[in-house]
Amino acid sequence: MITGTLINYYFHCRTQCWLHANRINLEDNSEDVRIGKVLHEISEEKAQKAEVKIDNVKIDKITKEYLVELKKSDSDPEAVKWQVLLYLYKLRGKGIERKGKVEYHEKNHNTKSEIIELDDANEKALLSVLEAITTLITSPTPPAPKFENKCKKCAYFDYCFI
Amino acid sequence: MAKNHTRYIFSMGELKRKDNSIAFSNEKGNFYLPIEETRELYCLNEVSFNTKFLDFIARAGITMHIFNYHGNYSGSFYPKEYLISGDLTIKQSLSFVNERLVIAKSIVSAIAQNIHEVLYHYYRHDKKELKPYIDWLKNDVPSLLHVTMKVEQILFVEGQIWSRFYDSFKYFLPEDFVMNKRVKRPPDNPINALISFGNTLLYTKTIASIYHTHLNQSISFLHSPREGRFSLSLDLSEAFKPVIVFKTIFDLVGRKKLQVLKHFDKSLNYALLNEEGKKIFIDAFEERMNETFLHVKLKRKVSYKHCLKLDGYKLIKTIVEGREFTPFLLKEKM
Repeated sequence: MITGTLINYYFHCRTQCWLHANRINLEDNSEDVRIGKVLHEISEEKAQKAEVKIDNVKIDKITKEYLVELKKSDSDPEAVKWQVLLYLYKLRGKGIERKGKVEYHEKNHNTKSEIIELDDANEKALLSVLEAITTLITSPTPPAPKFENKCKKCAYFDYCFI
Repeated sequence: MAKNHTRYIFSMGELKRKDNSIAFSNEKGNFYLPIEETRELYCLNEVSFNTKFLDFIARAGITMHIFNYHGNYSGSFYPKEYLISGDLTIKQSLSFVNERLVIAKSIVSAIAQNIHEVLYHYYRHDKKELKPYIDWLKNDVPSLLHVTMKVEQILFVEGQIWSRFYDSFKYFLPEDFVMNKRVKRPPDNPINALISFGNTLLYTKTIASIYHTHLNQSISFLHSPREGRFSLSLDLSEAFKPVIVFKTIFDLVGRKKLQVLKHFDKSLNYALLNEEGKKIFIDAFEERMNETFLHVKLKRKVSYKHCLKLDGYKLIKTIVEGREFTPFLLKEKM
């Protein structure tokens, strides 16, 4: 079953997509992430984040008109677009019709948003993407990583380039 | 220097959860350790705690290592696994079946290369008596490994490397630290005490590093998985022993920072470090673990401690992608 994260990774980086799908998730070395995670984990007072779960798809927010995906930064809009299309497609399968809306909450920036609709053309494209992902993640080894600028911040950096 | 996330407790007392901090209390008062800045806890004295405390550190992914009064390792509190991959475990087992010899050889080869690198320093500084041994490491060990066909033979070569290494101490260590032979449980003289203590510290560091990977701690290659311990940690710590444990020992002993009469327990024939000795050793050990250098391949600064985890990643790559396994090499700095 292909998840939102996986389709996002597919467009972000194929190696990351394979590793994640094959359950090789690495510890995030970033101190900020760890601090946040530890504090979140241990503070029982904090309420559970309000997420809606349909099948294995976790949706940030759903309104009468929109399915809303919250993102911290707009660094990879293409990857987010496909993630949202997958959600819309899954919702359609349940008889729920929505438009997608991506909200970017960047620090010190105004919130930007983008509307995405699932039409015949991109539905067809989505299906072939899902097929391509299945082929990728079931291959025995991950594709060799190619160094790019975005690699520097990735949790898989050490694994990829050691 | 890389941030140090290891806390050592030398005195008797109690560990508790206090709000979202670790609190250590004894007659001298309360000491607080922020949870997010702690990754490992070492208890070197009698410490009490309850399950609420264990649950607290487990959720923060902290491993706790426990030592008895004599400085012997009792065991580790190892929180439940958070990185589990059944697929990788299967592949790790397959690697054991198909690649055990190759991986075991690469570990022994790395031990030899790293010892060579450490001793070459003394050879350059006029300890010419070391020549036969370092030549043997450089020339004979690779060819010996080349012809070995069985794990027993590889283990024999490894045994030879270590015993000749211990024999070579007489050429560059002060006389009161020269050893007759390696004795483990319990150690019978100061140098054996240092080696045992150092190796155990490194072993626990490796356990904590592997905890943060998907590797299965019990499927090992050089050591037999039958040993029923975290034998993969024994495997991955081997190549680091010359680099971390022995360089620390040689440095402390050579500079007379550790002395037989001052830092070892007299009542036990100087065969154990006393509290002050342990503190000196641990300080130097931690400093070395956290020392950073430019990693040749990654082109970023890494600590030796991080290199332990990187060796875990290398092993995952060997297991998943069939790439050759080369443990950390001091000379190459990668």
